[in-house]
Amino acid sequence: MNIGSRFRGAIAASALVGSVIGVAFTAHAADKTLVWGKPAEITGFDVHVAGTVASWEMYQMVYETLLTADENLKVQPALAESWEQTSATSYVFKLRPGAKFSNGRPVTAADVAGSLQRIKNPETASYWSAQLGTIARIETPDDQTVKVELETPHPAFLPALAHVSAAILPIQELKAGEFNPAKEMLGSGPFMVKEHKQDESWSLARNPYYWGKSLPVADELEALIIPDDSARVAALRDGRIDFTTFENPDIAKMLSSAANIAVLPLKTTNYFRIDVNALSPKSAFIDRRVRQAMNLALDRDAINNLVFAGTTSVDYPVPAAFGKSACKATPSYALPRDQRLEKAKALLKEAGNEHPKVTLLATSSDPVFAMIAQVAQQSLADAGFDVQIQQPPMAEYLKRVFTDGDFDLAISWLAGYTDPSMVIAWWNPKFALWNQAFQQDVPALDNVLDQIKTMQDGPDRDAKLDEACKLIEDGANVLALVSKVDYVAYRSDRVKLKLPARSGSSNTFQYVAEFEPRH
Amino acid sequence: MRLFVYILSKLASAFITMLGVSALVFVSLRFIPGGYADILLGPFVTPAAREVIERRYGLDQPLWVQFVHWLVSLLHGDFGVSMVTQQPVINEFLRRAPVTLELASLAMALALAIGLPLGVMAGSSPPGLRRDGFARVIGAIGAGVPDFVLGTTLILIFSVWSLWLRVGGYTPFTQDPILNLRTMLLPAITLAVFGGALILRTSRDAVLRVMTEGYITAAVARGERPIDIVRRHVLRNASIPVVTVVTTYFGFLMGGAVVAEVLFSIPGVGLYAYNGLQNRDYAIVETSVLLAAFVFVVVNTLADVLYAIIDPRVSVDATR
Repeated sequence: MNIGSRFRGAIAASALVGSVIGVAFTAHAADKTLVWGKPAEITGFDVHVAGTVASWEMYQMVYETLLTADENLKVQPALAESWEQTSATSYVFKLRPGAKFSNGRPVTAADVAGSLQRIKNPETASYWSAQLGTIARIETPDDQTVKVELETPHPAFLPALAHVSAAILPIQELKAGEFNPAKEMLGSGPFMVKEHKQDESWSLARNPYYWGKSLPVADELEALIIPDDSARVAALRDGRIDFTTFENPDIAKMLSSAANIAVLPLKTTNYFRIDVNALSPKSAFIDRRVRQAMNLALDRDAINNLVFAGTTSVDYPVPAAFGKSACKATPSYALPRDQRLEKAKALLKEAGNEHPKVTLLATSSDPVFAMIAQVAQQSLADAGFDVQIQQPPMAEYLKRVFTDGDFDLAISWLAGYTDPSMVIAWWNPKFALWNQAFQQDVPALDNVLDQIKTMQDGPDRDAKLDEACKLIEDGANVLALVSKVDYVAYRSDRVKLKLPARSGSSNTFQYVAEFEPRH
Repeated sequence: MRLFVYILSKLASAFITMLGVSALVFVSLRFIPGGYADILLGPFVTPAAREVIERRYGLDQPLWVQFVHWLVSLLHGDFGVSMVTQQPVINEFLRRAPVTLELASLAMALALAIGLPLGVMAGSSPPGLRRDGFARVIGAIGAGVPDFVLGTTLILIFSVWSLWLRVGGYTPFTQDPILNLRTMLLPAITLAVFGGALILRTSRDAVLRVMTEGYITAAVARGERPIDIVRRHVLRNASIPVVTVVTTYFGFLMGGAVVAEVLFSIPGVGLYAYNGLQNRDYAIVETSVLLAAFVFVVVNTLADVLYAIIDPRVSVDATR
């Protein structure tokens, strides 16, 4: 064999080896898939309409908002690279250059304006409209600039833009009839939908036009719908999923000793609450004294210790996560339990109803609600309440509480969002229209809440928050219980997660673009 | 020809039955508390928002208008769309049907494998023997344990000690047969226990009845071996009630093994219908009832045909 043929042979062999390595590398590089065990399927595709966390957490993979919130609950840039508040009611947003929808079209000012207008349109039926305040006009002087003028000052406007319900849609395609938000998702977020099998799975692929440099780290994200807690535990153990969330603290405890599984309790501004029917003549709680007695008798510490093994904390209408002292001095929080029980019994005696028989709804869709209900039942019994727990399915629970007002007490939870004035706004039934079936309108409280909405954060607003807390305590209509902790469980050998220390917009996976598959 | 006419008449009466059942379900669904507007909007449902959502999905129309619209669509082969996805529900049912068929077949195979031999053994045993008592106890336990209790127990056990089996999830058989089997065995066992108990008790009773017949006594007198007596005389004559139970049970399984599919997250027809009911996604529930009724009718018709094949003395006329 001559040198030439040997040389050619060497070249051929090198090429062969190189191509094998290349294929192997490509195969390995392409195998960056995250697998998420999602506890529930979405309830609808329209990001501006759906009011459930199960929907929000999927939208957050695909859509983006103008702003986002960091773990200190401060607003940060997102699709808006910068912004300026030019007056108490005027805002100018500069859009991020290079931000594109997953179909390749740049996000423009028209998309932002159209999305905000769509949310405000009553025909959209978006509950988030109220949180954006009253928009007088929106101008788009150029493709990268959006000017928003509000009718009255609304400091919560910027935090409201950070919630996924204010996501930016491709308005051009929507108007052209090429995109139907009720049937599909098309956003500028890190991922885009490749395939959806209802109640079974989602396959998401990286958005090739995502503005984040080298993001998302993962090429694909699979979401397997696994509603049963035990089945998700099994899926984590056998490696079928990389990460998931639980609300049940017992599951978190069970997993904490498992090999290669890490459990992180994620603090949020959300909290569990109890709704009290102040309007129904059939309910004992139409009498304010009975409501106050119930509030005094509730043992929030017992809920924390018995249901959550002390891993959460007592919470207030103004979420404790914001670091405010509002509500902490009110009697139902400040007094020792024995004194509270004495006061509760005295109130019931004064009301002429020392042993009220009441029902407590805890929807069967979430086992934690039933656990809280049981502890509440026991603590209220100490004051003389006879509480019967009912567990209707979700649709029935929603109709009975928010439409028919056919209940006495109901366990639920509230999102605390990213500003103290946002969640507390729900105590005004003229603002939170969905509570009108059971929530009493208290003009003095409405006035204070309206004032809070226009005030910047500071001592003056804190004083108003205190005032609101006293009125909330007096009415005892919607009551905070304990903080809602999301337990994120993941396979530490299969994925590296980045999680916020605290989440304010039910955006547990806001850093999903930085999640790194290790397999 | 007679068989063909018989089958045709069965299907015609089945169609009327199905329509009646579907009408009943159509109306009942709309009286269940809560609707899709509640599910979509969650705790943020206001009267105005509800009105918008109901108008969007045609739910604001009078009941009879909704029913007529649905019926006319049905007659055109349109089973409606899911309110959650806005996609035709029939496509989902067709996609999921093989999964439920696989689960039902596996459960049936297990039930037959356990129930039939035990039942025949129990029925053909001389009285007082422990075999009969043992089989009867197994049958009682199997029939008495609710499938949701059994399924939950299996999940709790096997989510901790896998023992090769897998809890939850689904891998298509064509993608990975072994993984598919590992996932489907537990839900199949959950369903098979009751079915096995049913088949055991039915076959035991049927065999007991046949054992008292004169031709069995004659066979014994002729000196035939017990195994031959069972094989040649008992099995075929005892099979009619067993066929009835097996076909009814299979129809029940195909109608949607809801509990097993929900517990183990198996993406079959039952899980789809369950979620549809939870979400008040009416088209899904209406279609699932219609299809379940259709499956029952087909299975029962097949059973009638099978009787005629097993026992030539039975004619299709007699089974009407």
